[in-house]
Amino acid sequence: MTVPGEVPDGLHDDARSATPRGTLRRAVALLDVDRRRAVQAVALGTAALGCAVALAAVAAWLIARASQMPPVLTLSVATVAVRAFGIGRGVLRYCERLVSHDVALRGMTTLRTMLYARLSVGQPAALMAVRRGDLLTRVGADVDAVGDVVVRGLLPAAVAAALGVGTTVAMSLFWPPAGLALAACLVLAGVVAPALAAAGSRTTEREAAEGRARSSATALGLLDDAGPLAVAGRTAIELDVLRAADRSVAAATDRGAPSAALAAALGQAAVGLAVLAALLTGVPAVTAGRLAPVELAVIVLTPLAAFEAAALLPAAAVQVHRSRAAAARILALLDAAGPEVPVPGLTPAEPVLVARDLVAGWDGAAPVVRDLDLDVRPGSAVAVVGPSGTGKTTLLLTLAGLLPAGGGSVRLGGTDLHEVARPAASVVHVAEDGYVFGTTVLENLRVARGDVTPDEAADALAHAGLGTWLAGLPEGVETLLGPDGRTLSGGERRRLLLARALLAPAPLLLVDEPAEHVDPTTADELVRRLLTEHRDRGVVVVTHRLTPLAAADEVIRLDGGRVAARGTHADLVARDARYRDDLAQERTQQTEDA
Amino acid sequence: MRPLDPRLLRHAHAARGYVALTAALGIVTAALVVGQAVLLAHALGRAVHDGADLATIAPLVGWLAVVVALRAATTYVQERFAHRAATRAVAELREAVVAHAAALGPRWLAGGEGPGVATLATRGLDDLEPYFVRYLPQLLLAATVTPATLLVVLGLDWVSAAILVVVLPLVPIFMWLVGRLTQGRSERGLATMRRLGSQTLDLLAGLPTLRAFGRERGPASRVQALGDAHRRATMGTLRIAFLSGMVLELLTTLSVALVAVGIGLRLVEGELSLVTGLAVLVLAPEVFNPLRQVGAQFHAASDGVAAAEQAFAILDVPLRPDGTRVAPDLASSTIELRGVSVGRTPYRLDAVVRPGRVLALTGPSGGGKSTAVDVLLGLLAPDEGGVVLHADDDRIALADVTRATYWAQVTWLPQRPVLEPGTLLEVVGGADDARAAAAEVTGLDAVVDGLPDGWATTLGRGGDGLSVGQRQRVALTRALLSPAPLVVLDEPTAHLDAAGERVVLETVRAMRAAGRAVVLVAHRASLLACADDVVVVAPADLPHQAHAEVGR
Repeated sequence: MTVPGEVPDGLHDDARSATPRGTLRRAVALLDVDRRRAVQAVALGTAALGCAVALAAVAAWLIARASQMPPVLTLSVATVAVRAFGIGRGVLRYCERLVSHDVALRGMTTLRTMLYARLSVGQPAALMAVRRGDLLTRVGADVDAVGDVVVRGLLPAAVAAALGVGTTVAMSLFWPPAGLALAACLVLAGVVAPALAAAGSRTTEREAAEGRARSSATALGLLDDAGPLAVAGRTAIELDVLRAADRSVAAATDRGAPSAALAAALGQAAVGLAVLAALLTGVPAVTAGRLAPVELAVIVLTPLAAFEAAALLPAAAVQVHRSRAAAARILALLDAAGPEVPVPGLTPAEPVLVARDLVAGWDGAAPVVRDLDLDVRPGSAVAVVGPSGTGKTTLLLTLAGLLPAGGGSVRLGGTDLHEVARPAASVVHVAEDGYVFGTTVLENLRVARGDVTPDEAADALAHAGLGTWLAGLPEGVETLLGPDGRTLSGGERRRLLLARALLAPAPLLLVDEPAEHVDPTTADELVRRLLTEHRDRGVVVVTHRLTPLAAADEVIRLDGGRVAARGTHADLVARDARYRDDLAQERTQQTEDA
Repeated sequence: MRPLDPRLLRHAHAARGYVALTAALGIVTAALVVGQAVLLAHALGRAVHDGADLATIAPLVGWLAVVVALRAATTYVQERFAHRAATRAVAELREAVVAHAAALGPRWLAGGEGPGVATLATRGLDDLEPYFVRYLPQLLLAATVTPATLLVVLGLDWVSAAILVVVLPLVPIFMWLVGRLTQGRSERGLATMRRLGSQTLDLLAGLPTLRAFGRERGPASRVQALGDAHRRATMGTLRIAFLSGMVLELLTTLSVALVAVGIGLRLVEGELSLVTGLAVLVLAPEVFNPLRQVGAQFHAASDGVAAAEQAFAILDVPLRPDGTRVAPDLASSTIELRGVSVGRTPYRLDAVVRPGRVLALTGPSGGGKSTAVDVLLGLLAPDEGGVVLHADDDRIALADVTRATYWAQVTWLPQRPVLEPGTLLEVVGGADDARAAAAEVTGLDAVVDGLPDGWATTLGRGGDGLSVGQRQRVALTRALLSPAPLVVLDEPTAHLDAAGERVVLETVRAMRAAGRAVVLVAHRASLLACADDVVVVAPADLPHQAHAEVGR
């Protein structure tokens, strides 16, 4: 569901968030482009297109000179040169493309590495915010977009500039006025036209942003709620809204199109103007005897080939403008991560997690959970239950120190959690959406501890109820899993995450819904074992299953972000009507299912 | 990929006029290109060869200026309307796809290609823009300028024309050959590239997890190593991929060079005039120019074409035909589900919905309750069995009824209520007294009292601005106020606390008292207790289907 005016994830926010000047420069600087290779790419590109210009000039000379019927031998250098330039252009351009892509790819590796390094040591909250959106999946595309600026924007611009200067100087050697006219026309095609094209694209994006967002939101609404809208008789109305939004986008495009069209027309006109200028200044010079007739052919025909580099620049300018949004997102990510968070020197005296009057919530939003007191020490087993959306997950993140507390305190061994060196050594948080890497089962388990042996891995998997699954894998713990565990079912995935947590050396475990997507009997068994079999550790489990909670020391029922009831399972069954009702419901269903 | 798919013209009206305009402009451009070359050759030839002064060639230069201006104008018009046509054609396709997919219904949208429709409608079809703006004009220029210039060259100097005619077919042939020879290698390269790229992203995406285990520092060097491997794989692929570009450039520039040398040698022999030679020299690159541009724009355009093909595939999925009869008055009809099966969930379901009674559908999750509701609502045709409406002595199959006349008599509260944007007053509707009474039953009055703007509070799309429970109350109030004789409530207490649950019970009782037929999808015992009839919806693999109709 999306509010009009709010931008759906990943759509067109580029145009909406105004990016400060210098954004792109900062981002490109992060690529740390290899100067020597960049110069090489520009030199090759200039030489390649220079071949095309030289081909035109020599061909013009050849034909004009030939018409004077000189001995054929005087033309032999020119005939060879024409062919050489014809070959040179293709070959040099090939080399240039390889070098410029190599430059960009190296830069992108640098940027990715730096991004990883900064995110891994920056503010944990930045990372959490990233995880909620689709930012991380977009980082790859964004880095590519910044790399694109180099290949499609900066290097072509440098080539066009070098070639423009070279051609102008060469022309001026023959006849300075023609050279000057060519320079003016090149500026028209290579500077004015790109600026206009970028302005047009900016206008369209700015004015179309609102309509695009509305169009996307309406389209998504129509698809998400197809049934309810049809029954309520509102499909046609929503389609009208979609049509109106698209019409406003079309109108915005119409407002940006004249600039783009003018840019294209200018680029086209510049070539003709350069030719006309050469004719108009050159012919009188020939009449006056200041220019040889053969040279006239050269200065008139060369401009026809001189605009190839400049003609690419309007598209390059639009590309640069579009990449700016990607650059802004990457910089925002880096800025949010901030500088490296200094690792505080305090080591907790003992692994005891104590929360007092804890307020948990996402930065900027209203708190989700309030006024919670909780003690977790090795040996304690706490379960947190409640309807979905009451903040159980947010609470766990806060207890793990991954979200800053909105109020109250979380202390580990008497030290504020944020002043503890490596809290992960004491408290491990097992997220619902914990990540499964695209590598082997064993390597995935070694994320918890680097020295896990295959036998330990098999034990942990069996413990998490994956013994049969493991037995069915073609290469056991060495089996490769798809990226983000796409080859796993929901239940297998949860249990793999649980197995990984069990292998972590930390004495405190915070586990979020270990048993979702698992059939009720197995789920109950899993939760019960988690609560009972790890008495050397402290465990907090968020779960939707109530049946196995007799094994917990304490059950906390959250509702509406507050503690609605807490006590042992037996206490709650005796005192809390809702708990009793839910438990009864769970049991009836299970009997029905069985 | 088809260069110009006729279906594109059929589905996107905006594209038709644009293609016609672009074709016309292509013909004009061809004429202007030829005109420019001939005028330039004459002006320059006479100045170089005959020593003509500016005054003598002034008319030629004047006409040349006119041609230059006209070419710029043609380019302006082309570009001006390209953007407009692209936006409109994309919008037309988007609307057609969204309307068609919505009409195919929630079931179709949930499975198979359904989830892809959203991406296609919001992002994918935008890829058609470069196709319309860049690729299509060049394609039409290749169909106009290339033959026109070639014919003129033929008329001027058949030897040069012969060189060009020999090379022209070599362009696609060589590109195809290079493509064939390198395909295997570059596909392997692409696969490696994708794997390495996804491993890097894998580490980035898994960073929160690594951090949760305190093991985030090691992999930085791995990111670097993966990046280097990725670059090497990519460069390997590019070395091959760029070969086709090089062949294209070599063939075209080299043939222009050969044409120039040939002209030069024949000029020396006096077999050719300078004017002719210059005209051919200027025209020769123009023969290849559109082809080179088509090659350059090919990749940008192919994404758009792929998106359009996806859209056509969706538009080709046949819609379920609508009925032809007007639905009977549901206030005096009973609705019977008879042996309804959709796959195996539900399996052979029987149920009867009567005015003034509450029917509860219950059963294990995944048993097909929501599917049964979709069938009852006519959103889904069952694989077996059917829905029959009994009115007086008439029996009408739901499939024969025009859906709109049936839906006009139905109020449906899905699990996630759908609220249109507007003020609370507009969304809830109804006369003042009735609304106040209904709001009292559902507890919405308390919610409204707590809002600073009261009934004038503006809700966003989907009821944003209210909590889930508050939204549920708004939807319940609206359902209570609506005069529709059939009310379907799907898990109305799912996100409510005990107080909210009482409200739902009150609302259901009020609806029954008004003589309306109520269908509840329910789990909770308390909710089941208020039902007159309870039907357990179960999948086929359960030993028996309990027809626990509890009469009251």
